[in-house]
Parts: sequence; C-alpha cells; structure tokens
Amino acid sequence: MIKPLIQALVIAVAALQVAQAQAPAAAPAAPAPAANVTAAAPATAPTLDGRIQDVKGDVIKLNRDLLVLEEELLFPASTQVALFVSMDVGKLFSLESVQIKLDDKVVSNYLYTPLEVAALHRGGVQRIHVGNLKAGTHELVAFFTGQGPHERDYKRGATIKFDKGTDPKYIELQIKDSTGKLQPEFDVKVWQ
Amino acid sequence: MRTSVHPPLKRLAAGLVLAVACAAAWAAPAKTDAADEKGVVVQDPHYGDVLFHFYKGRYFTAVTTLMASQQFGRVAQHADEAEMLRGGLLLSYGLHKEAGEIFAALIDKGVAPSVRDRAWFFLAKIRYQRGFYAQAEEAIGRIGDKLPKQLEEERALLQANLLLARADYAAAATLLNGYLADKKDPSFFTRYNLGVALIRSGEIERGSALLDTLGKTPADNEEQRTLRDKANVALGFAALQDQRPEVARTVLERVRLKSLQSNKALLGFGWASASLKEPKRALVPWMELLERDASDSAVLEARIAVPYAYAELGAYGQALERYNDAIAQFEREASQLDQSIAAIRAGKLLAGLMERNPGEEMGWFWNIKELPEMPHGGHLAQVFAQHEFQEAFKNFRDLQFLAKNLADWQDNLGVYGDMLDNRRNAYAQRLPAVRAQAAAVDIEALQKRRDAAAAEVARVETEQDAAAYADARQRALMERLASVQAALQAMGNDPALAPQRERARLAAGALTWEMARQLPERSWEAKKQLRTIDANLAQVRERDAAIAQAQKDEPVRQEKFAARIVELDQRIKGLVPRVAELSREQQGQVQELAVAELVRQKERLAIYATQARYAVAQLYDRANVAKKDDDAAPKQ
Repeated sequence: MIKPLIQALVIAVAALQVAQAQAPAAAPAAPAPAANVTAAAPATAPTLDGRIQDVKGDVIKLNRDLLVLEEELLFPASTQVALFVSMDVGKLFSLESVQIKLDDKVVSNYLYTPLEVAALHRGGVQRIHVGNLKAGTHELVAFFTGQGPHERDYKRGATIKFDKGTDPKYIELQIKDSTGKLQPEFDVKVWQ
Repeated sequence: MRTSVHPPLKRLAAGLVLAVACAAAWAAPAKTDAADEKGVVVQDPHYGDVLFHFYKGRYFTAVTTLMASQQFGRVAQHADEAEMLRGGLLLSYGLHKEAGEIFAALIDKGVAPSVRDRAWFFLAKIRYQRGFYAQAEEAIGRIGDKLPKQLEEERALLQANLLLARADYAAAATLLNGYLADKKDPSFFTRYNLGVALIRSGEIERGSALLDTLGKTPADNEEQRTLRDKANVALGFAALQDQRPEVARTVLERVRLKSLQSNKALLGFGWASASLKEPKRALVPWMELLERDASDSAVLEARIAVPYAYAELGAYGQALERYNDAIAQFEREASQLDQSIAAIRAGKLLAGLMERNPGEEMGWFWNIKELPEMPHGGHLAQVFAQHEFQEAFKNFRDLQFLAKNLADWQDNLGVYGDMLDNRRNAYAQRLPAVRAQAAAVDIEALQKRRDAAAAEVARVETEQDAAAYADARQRALMERLASVQAALQAMGNDPALAPQRERARLAAGALTWEMARQLPERSWEAKKQLRTIDANLAQVRERDAAIAQAQKDEPVRQEKFAARIVELDQRIKGLVPRVAELSREQQGQVQELAVAELVRQKERLAIYATQARYAVAQLYDRANVAKKDDDAAPKQ
C-alpha cells in the first residue's frame, strides 16, 4: 500500500552521488579549442551569474585604482614611511599588543586577535602604520607586550634611529625566538 | 537555530583555501626549516602584508592590496607567486576568465616548474568547473611532478571526477585505487568517491565493501562524520532495494541520530523492520521522526508510515485516526508553506538572512549560520541545505558588500576631493610669499660677488700678496708703521733718529715676514671658503630651480589628482546602478529558488495527502467488508 512511496526516496538516496569538491557550474557548452593555453572558453551569453562575476571583477579593479590613488595622495613616496610587524617562529612569545612611537609621538597602539597572531605565525607581515615623515633623522621606539616563556607577562622595547630620504622608507619590527637564550628577541629591519 | 555546513560547500571552501595557500608557498628555493614550516620567506614586506590579510580570511582586502602593490612594483621578489595568489583569489570569487588568463600567462611565460604545475592544476580546475571536461583533462595531463603534495589528493579527485563525468567509472576506480594504494591515510572523500566509482563501474561487491569499511571508520570531524553517514545511508537503501532488510538495518544503525542523514536513516530503518514483518519495531524510528521538523520529506512520509504500521498490527482504529491526523497536518503544512512563500516574495527571507549573518567581506569561505526569524521558518532548512541556494545567496551577499564598498569609497573620494581643494587653496595662498622670498635673493649678484672674490684669491696667490690677508691687528700695525715711517720721513735724515728708523724697518720686516708665513694657510682657508660659497650657491640655485619646477609641476600634479578623482568617481557612479540592478535580479533568483523548494514540499505534501486518503478509503472498505461479513454471518 504505502511501499511504492518509498521508491522515490530509495532511488533518490541510493543513486549514489559522487562527493565532489566542486559541482560543475553549468552544463557543458561547446568545447573550446585547446590549441594553446591562452585559448579562452567560448563566449557565453551574459547570464546573471556571468554579469555578477563581471561586476565583481570591475569593483576589484576599481578598488585597486582607488587604493593606489589613496596612497599617492595621502602618503607620497617622498615622505612615506611604512612600519611592519612580523613574527619568526614566535614560540617563546605570545603577542598581545604593540605600541609604536615615532619621534616620541605614539602612532600606533595595536591589540591583536588570536586570528591575527596566527596570521603572523604563518608568515603574514602586518603593515601596522603608514605615515609621512620629513627627510632627516628620526627615532622609532616599539613596545611589544604579551606573554614570554613560562607564561610570564613580558614587555620589551626596540629602538632604532633611521634616516629618511626622498624614497619611501619601510621598517619591519621582527619578533624572533632566540633559542640560545630561550628568550624572545625583537629586531628592527630597515628595508632598502 | 543552527544549520550544519553543507558538506560539498565546506569541502570546496577548504580545497580553495589549501589551493590558494599553496599559491603563497614555496616562494624561495633556499629556505630555512622555520621557513618551510611557515611556507614562505617574505622578501618584500608588502607581499607579507597581502599574506597577513589572506591568512586573516580577508580575501577581498588581500586581492585588492596585492593588486595595488603590484601596481607600485613592490612585490617584485614574489612576482610569479603573487600572480598565482591573485589568480587563486579571483578564481575563488568565480572570476574564471581572469583567473584562467593569469594562469595561462604564467605558463606562457615559462615560469619555474612548481609554479607551472600549479598553474596547470588551476586551469584544469577552472575548465572542469565550467564544464569543459576535455580541456580540463588536457590541462591535468600536463601537470608534471612538481605539484605540491597538499594538492596531490585534490588532483586525483579532480581527475577521477573528470573520468566519472564521461562515465568512465572503471578508469576512475583504477585511478583512485592506485592513489589509495600509495597513500597511508587517504581522505574520506577519496575513499567515498572510489566506492561510488566501483559500484558504478559494476564492481558492486568491492564498492560496497569499501563504503562499508568507510561506514565503520572513526571520524575526526564533522565533514568526515557526514560522509560516513552518507555512505551508510547509501548502503542501507541499496540493501533495502536488494531485499536485504537485515543488512539495511545494520548499516543504518550506524548513522548518527542527529545529522543531515539521520531522518533518512530512521525512515529506512523503519521500512527494513516493516519488511521483516516487525511493524512494532518499525514504529520506534517512525515515532521519533514524527517529533522532527516537518519540512523533511522523511518526516512527512513517517506520518503515513506510522498508521501503516498500526494497520499492519491490526490496530485499524488507531491507524484511521493517525491517517486523518496526517491529512489534517498536511493541510496545515500546505497553508503554512503558502505563508512562507508569500513572506519570501515580500523579501523577508533575504532581509532576515542578511541581518542574522553579517560578514565583513565578500568571500567564498562563508556560510549561513543563523536562520532568519520568519513564520514557519522550519520549512527553510531544506532550502538552505541546497548548494545552489547557498551559492546564489552568497552572490547576493557579495553584491551587498560591493554596494557598501562603493558607497564607502564614494564618501572617501568626496573627502579626498575636499582635501585636494584645500591643498590647492593653501598652495595658491603660499605661492606669492614663496615667490617674493625667492625673488628677494639675487642669485646673479651673489654669483658676481663670488667671482670677484675668487679673482682676488687668485691674484693674491699669484702675486703672493700676503698683506691682502692681514687681520685686524696686522692692519692696525701696518697703519701704525706707515704713520711712523711717514713721520720719520718728514724729519729728514737726522742721524739721531737712526735707531728709530732701524726699529721701524725691523718691525716692518717682522710684520711682512709674519704675514708671508701665514699666507699659505690663509690662502687655503680662503679657497675653502670659496668652495663653501660655491656649494651654498649651488644649493640656492637648486632650491630656486626646485621652486620654479614645483610652481610648474604642482598645479599639474594637483590637476592630475583631481582628474583621477573625477574618473574614479565616474566609475563608481557607473557601478552603483549596475550592482543595485544585479542585486535586485539576484534577490529575485534567490527567492525563486527558495519558493521552488517550498513548492516542491507542497507537491510532496499533496502526494502524501492523496496516499493517506487512499489508505483511509481502504480502511473503510476493509471495515465495510468486515461489517458485511459480520452481517452475512449466521446469527447465533
């Protein structure tokens, strides 16, 4: 009586579906010639999805141009100074926050989320500050706060004097592990 | 209420993260162990900045920052890797064409084998996703032996999927089998797909055995548990079809009680028991199903399966009551579905979803976590489980992000425009003062004075005119000597003055000797001062030239900035209505996808209601026949 009802479900489930990482976006269209690698797929009608991808592409390019304009306008190369934070291994130090002073003026007070710390661990380099400085000698002081070996509160500073010329200046604050001393180390690298 | 992540979607996202992460790795040939662990040695800090955003999951910021840094030429040390990363990120946004062009360009460029192999891999993937299977197979065939290990399994899966797509199940099974043989710990996906491929290629026993093993394997995460459940449900229903209800029950029992597959498993378990003529045992899972969300077809079927079991047990009265309850419930459900459809068409679904699922950026690694507050929201769980709906909604959400992004930039551009105007005004105000200051300095007059001084220094040197460098004391002495000598001269040749004359002569000689002795040092000092004057003059000329150049350049520069701001503003203004229009269209599409699913649910309800009515009629018939039999029976 009811049993036929189950058939639909049985067929639906038992028709084993291949677990796919990605289902094909559309049914195969006419194959594109594969004479060389640059040969593009054949032009398709502007579907809604296609038009959405187009607009995404346009907005991404626009964002690039806007970012370039913003940087050139706000931080011209002749006065630009960019500060970066990186972490090499970082097993001996669990970063919580960084404070940076340029010529005795605080330019950044940054509190890290676990996700950001993980991003630094994986090799990301954070551009923590971009600003403008006149040509001449300047002093940078950075304070790193977190937990050091044996989960003790740890605060360390790093200082550097640097000359700013007419090219942009990139300075990287590096957090490293000193396996010899079993202590974290804080270095400053000035990129040429 | 929370929904589970749609497994294929999660798999896709995880695969893309891995694939794109691989694009960031293996940058430098010479690396330390630590660098290996981290995957990349950053040689341009701005490339590291891109990775920072990438690892934070801010993919839109990562790709736009990367493109800006490429424009500035500051990721040159990672040029190819940066392109791989850009291609991967664009691919993740569905920009197949751009991504394909990037990978093809990398291959054409003759990059390092590791980059080339990844580019072929991505091209194969793009072509597969777009349904160009033959071209995808051609691309995958060109991958060499430098593909990162992390992508090897995905490559095998992709290749197997391509073989399955052209129904070459045996080849897919051979491929996956070979891959499994080499691998110590193959993923659940690979094993599942191999099981499916084997069954489809006719090797039902081997395929079933593989799925059976998979169905008993301990799982580490939700994705694996879901696949394990899926394998067990598939095996269970296949056994039911083959009239092997005992086997069906055994494998269906392995499915978790709360999972995407549990309703199907409970239903199947009930039918297996019913097949074994154990309706009482069938009632256990079916009664459990009655407590569950009615939008699931298994739950709906349970509503008529339960009275079926009662009828089988001979409890016709309860069966009839249950059937009538089911019919009433189906009607209520149908009416609620109509309300849900109306609410969806009124836009409440998308508004609710957006409100409850905020996200910072556009991205593929995102899924619906919270269901919206809607009347009879339970119907929507099935809607959200659909890959197609999730993708369509993600596109809608992306468009909302783009709209906000454009609005933010429009505001910023306004500020930049004002800032530029202020700069121009300040420049215009300062310019006269600067010009006056510059005009006040007569560089040519200074130059003439310098030239005269230089000529004098030269003359003194030539003529050895030591007196020219006499200091104040020496000049005073020279004056006094001159007046003494003049007085002595006026007094004639008086012999009594001979000692004074001699003293005057000696003093003059001593002075001349002193100045002559000091001449080289003073001459050197004079030349040194001349050089300082030359340097200062050059600086003055340079500054003067810079001011003159700035007077020419700065207005041009400001005009260029102003023109760029206008041009970018125009582009924003062109994109805003496009995004708005596409949002409207996409909203319609998302809503219609949801409505279509609800309509399907309604149709299912109608079928079940018909079946229930038919069963009720049968029960009445049975009762009537029984009554007639009773009536016909001789009365005692």
